[in-house]
Amino acid sequence: MTAVRPEASGSDLGGGPLEPDLGRGWFPEDAERHRRDAPKYCPACATALSLALGGQGLITEYWTGTDRVFVCFCGACGWSGDIVLADRVIGHEAAE
Amino acid sequence: MLTAEQNDELTQVAAGTPMGELLRRYWYPVAFTRALEEFPVQPARLLGEDFAIFKTPRGKYGLVPEACPHRRASLAYGVVESDGIRCPYHGWLFGTDGSCLDQPAEREETNFRERVRARAGHVAELGGLVWAYIGPEPAPELPRFDVFVMDGVRDIGWAELPCNFVQIMENAVDPHHTEWLHGRFFEFMARHQGFDAPSSFGKKHVKVGFDAFDWGIIKRRVVEGASEEDDDWKIGHPLVFPYNMRVGGANIEQMQIRVPVDRTTTRFMLYSVHAPDGVEYPEQPQVPDYQIPVFDERGKHRVDYVEGQDMMAWITQGPITDRTVEHLGRSDVGVTMLRRMFKEQMSAVARGDDPLGVYRDFRDRIDLPCEKNKFDAGGSFAIDFIDRGSSRFSPQADALKKLHIKAMENRKAAAG
Repeated sequence: MTAVRPEASGSDLGGGPLEPDLGRGWFPEDAERHRRDAPKYCPACATALSLALGGQGLITEYWTGTDRVFVCFCGACGWSGDIVLADRVIGHEAAE
Repeated sequence: MLTAEQNDELTQVAAGTPMGELLRRYWYPVAFTRALEEFPVQPARLLGEDFAIFKTPRGKYGLVPEACPHRRASLAYGVVESDGIRCPYHGWLFGTDGSCLDQPAEREETNFRERVRARAGHVAELGGLVWAYIGPEPAPELPRFDVFVMDGVRDIGWAELPCNFVQIMENAVDPHHTEWLHGRFFEFMARHQGFDAPSSFGKKHVKVGFDAFDWGIIKRRVVEGASEEDDDWKIGHPLVFPYNMRVGGANIEQMQIRVPVDRTTTRFMLYSVHAPDGVEYPEQPQVPDYQIPVFDERGKHRVDYVEGQDMMAWITQGPITDRTVEHLGRSDVGVTMLRRMFKEQMSAVARGDDPLGVYRDFRDRIDLPCEKNKFDAGGSFAIDFIDRGSSRFSPQADALKKLHIKAMENRKAAAG
């Protein structure tokens, strides 16, 4: 095994904050919607989830059909669950 | 999709960051036993820090920061002596416990050397690898996972990859990639480059599942033609938190190791044990290790073998993949589960608890759940594994194939 050293460059990948990679035009509008719509506070203890608001949670968004699902974890109380932004709510089919 | 802040946190390795503190609770392989037998001091980079690892003529290992505490010259060029390592620049000597034993140019009556230490962490040897722990005291036990202690013929392929280790770990909870990257894409490249692609990888996934367990996440799949009674679902195989994946099949047991060397470099190691029944294993005075190719002579990714395809996918995601512009679907639920697990364990460390997979009671062997009949492919999987995986670059590839073929013949003969 050979130890690898990072090459000197202008990049701050070594330890500084990451810049969002929006410059390449990869779906920046969805990134913006994520930042806007992701749940801000824990439904169980009301502590901020988002790091940007000083919280210690994690919110990962995935898509299923037309729904947007936010998989949430609260670092303060340990609550974890999915919060779904749904276009339509469907009840039980009527029995025939 | 994550915010930039969440992606930033998830991909840090530096001390003082939540992720860096979590990662410092584990042991990592940093050298081959063979290498330190051939030359007794080696450089080692781990979690963004540089070290010198050495083995004294008495057989004791030591780990010191690479920069000498005196005037920062590299101890990776040090002189290994019976008591420790001596700096090549001015001869300061450090013991395996990091204490400064000698400062030749200083006066005898000074107590200066008592003010200097070069301790970096703990070192242990297991399975042909030298492991380091650089976290807080007391150090936990080095987990003696089954592959590192079982009988069989060992073989280690490795490569250093220019990307963050988390995107590699996300691949370990992404079963669907197999049928595309190692199925359809393999077949496409085989047609254009003129080689045979194995058929076992391209089977369609009918169902995937994930369960958290004591050592990480068990990944399960049902492929077309198989059922929930088959090993791929009933047993599955685990992501071993936070940086390993245990795989196997057809009498080959493997740990895929992804060591975070620094934030944008990962050492990928394929630690394989070939253990077919019905044959005696040859002696291995040293475990063979060999570098596997990432790029071809034109600088393009080598994608004519399974792990070359994986490495292409991981590296082309970028040095730190930008999760603010990804689009996850329901098939990526394993990925969301892993990210949540990383975050839960960062919180555990912040509370002062041991995170998942850190244990303190010695166990001689830790068996991990792992399927035997891979992809419902039967015995041919062992030969496919060697011919179309990284083992084809092993100096003992032919001997390994002969071992499996001989074992199959012996088992057939024994069965009558």
